[in-house]
Amino acid sequence: MIDPVFLEVSVVVLGIFLLMAEAFGLAKEKSTLAWWAIGGLAAVFIGTFFIGPNSNSFEVSGFYVVDGLSLFFKRFVLISTILVLVMSVDYLPIVQRLVPAERPGAGSGEFFILPVFTCAGLMWMVSATDFIMIFCALELVTISFYIQVAYLRRSMSSLEAGTKYLILGALSTGFLVYGITWFFGATGQTNLVAIREVLPLIPVANHPAILFGLALVLVALGFKIAAVPFQFWVPDVYQGAPTPVTAYLAVASKAAGFLVLIRVLEPFFTVPSFQNKLFLALVLLALLTLVFGNLAAIPQTNFKRLLGYSSIAHAGYLLMGLAAIGDAFAGGAVVFYLSGYLLMTFLAFLILVPVTKASGGDDIAHFNGLARRSPGLALAMLIAAASLAGVPFTVGFFGKFFIFEAAMNQGLYLLVLAGIVTVASGFYYYFKVIRAMYWQPAPEDAGPVAITKTSSVAIFILAMLILILGVYPQLLIGMLP
Amino acid sequence: MLQDYTPVLLHVIIAVGFATVAMIANIVLGRTGKRNPTKDSVYECGMVPEMAGQPRFSVKFYLVAMLFILFDIEIVFMYPWAVVYQDFIAESGTIILWSMLSFVLILLFGYVYAIKKGALDWSR
Repeated sequence: MIDPVFLEVSVVVLGIFLLMAEAFGLAKEKSTLAWWAIGGLAAVFIGTFFIGPNSNSFEVSGFYVVDGLSLFFKRFVLISTILVLVMSVDYLPIVQRLVPAERPGAGSGEFFILPVFTCAGLMWMVSATDFIMIFCALELVTISFYIQVAYLRRSMSSLEAGTKYLILGALSTGFLVYGITWFFGATGQTNLVAIREVLPLIPVANHPAILFGLALVLVALGFKIAAVPFQFWVPDVYQGAPTPVTAYLAVASKAAGFLVLIRVLEPFFTVPSFQNKLFLALVLLALLTLVFGNLAAIPQTNFKRLLGYSSIAHAGYLLMGLAAIGDAFAGGAVVFYLSGYLLMTFLAFLILVPVTKASGGDDIAHFNGLARRSPGLALAMLIAAASLAGVPFTVGFFGKFFIFEAAMNQGLYLLVLAGIVTVASGFYYYFKVIRAMYWQPAPEDAGPVAITKTSSVAIFILAMLILILGVYPQLLIGMLP
Repeated sequence: MLQDYTPVLLHVIIAVGFATVAMIANIVLGRTGKRNPTKDSVYECGMVPEMAGQPRFSVKFYLVAMLFILFDIEIVFMYPWAVVYQDFIAESGTIILWSMLSFVLILLFGYVYAIKKGALDWSR
């Protein structure tokens, strides 16, 4: 039996080991670092199934909790990181072209090491039950993301994305810290469990202070999960960042942000006077995010930018689930949606990398005629796009279905209506990719798209999982915490 | 409780109000005349400016500054640690020592990495 604390510690040790291996030049090929990282993270993933009771004093002091939910998300984060590393190996030639180096290959090893540290931060984040811990874990995640987003130093768009992410990220961190100080000022606690106990005893005169803190924290976490109106960074950063980093931001960072949001908001749902106001804020956020994300995605011509807006739209559906949290299954629906979102988003990005390498760009036009060039890849992309849109017999359909069901049970008819209308617009913009692949002619000189073995295996597994869970969702529901 | 913050609010109002009044007064009373290239040019003790106002610095300066801040923060972190060290060790045992050692160890690895990567090699 393993003490759960060792999960994160071993990820950090793995990261330091890789850093030293890079510094002393132990790995001849830079991609060797990625395989070591994948091996190490896979070992930690297996370790998550042999967790013993938490004997450490961390849990006693209330900083760190290991329950079914956090364990599920630890596995979620580990799988995402492994997939990111698989994608990064495929992406390496582009990194080496766009990073200035004295010797060939220099400066590209850290591209595989930084995600390991991000992974440790995300794993701490999903276990954090204290604002101090949440803040530290969040900083570890964000700071390593700043570097990863701006990694392609010869690409202007990557630098622009890095600057935008840095400035807006620092701003949102400021909001978070300020919010935490208001909580601390009003309740005298930074611990979420303690805040939950103290909250009903707070005199009404102090409620505005707590609501102010809550609003500030909501702004900071809204930035992390890309909710409207805190979404301005998303399209530019998603387009400019290296593709594996975009996928990482879109899936793992967003999922951990949602889990922290659930943990932070939970105490406030127990007190009626806060519940109503919080509920209104969440409904408004969900409505805005749904409408903006889906409408703004319609005119996009760049695939990464399209996925950026689509990630905003998905945040809208997830917020809808959060607004319906009073329903017994709403929490499960949100987790189910996030898991399906992981599968389909990574599938789309895994296909995008070889297509970008073969056709020289990531616009939708670069997918033209993919069905004739590489029918297998096109079929997988068809599955990904269909699932993102929410076509039945894919996991995306059930994700939306469960969220809508929970919202209906809570009487959020307006939100459900907005959800259904925006799903329809989703069909339009996701199917632009399918149209390009199947109905547009391929460029004259284009042959089949070259793809590595590992990527094709990962693509196959993800596509199959999307279809299997789309027919038999009980498989995943059984695993939900 | 919120009433206690009234002085802060007053302070903010006075600060913003003073700035606004000063800027408006500048426009109204200052009789801003027409601009011309001579008025807009940089005045440097009567000399003609020779080059762009913001020369480029070598990135090495930033690198060294960043590393300095990192290890500076480490020391800042150690001061309160050293102050409570004895009391803590009498109460809860040696965990305080091991947690600080693991923190320093991580920083040490970072230091080794910086040296091996040539971050402190000025001539490169």
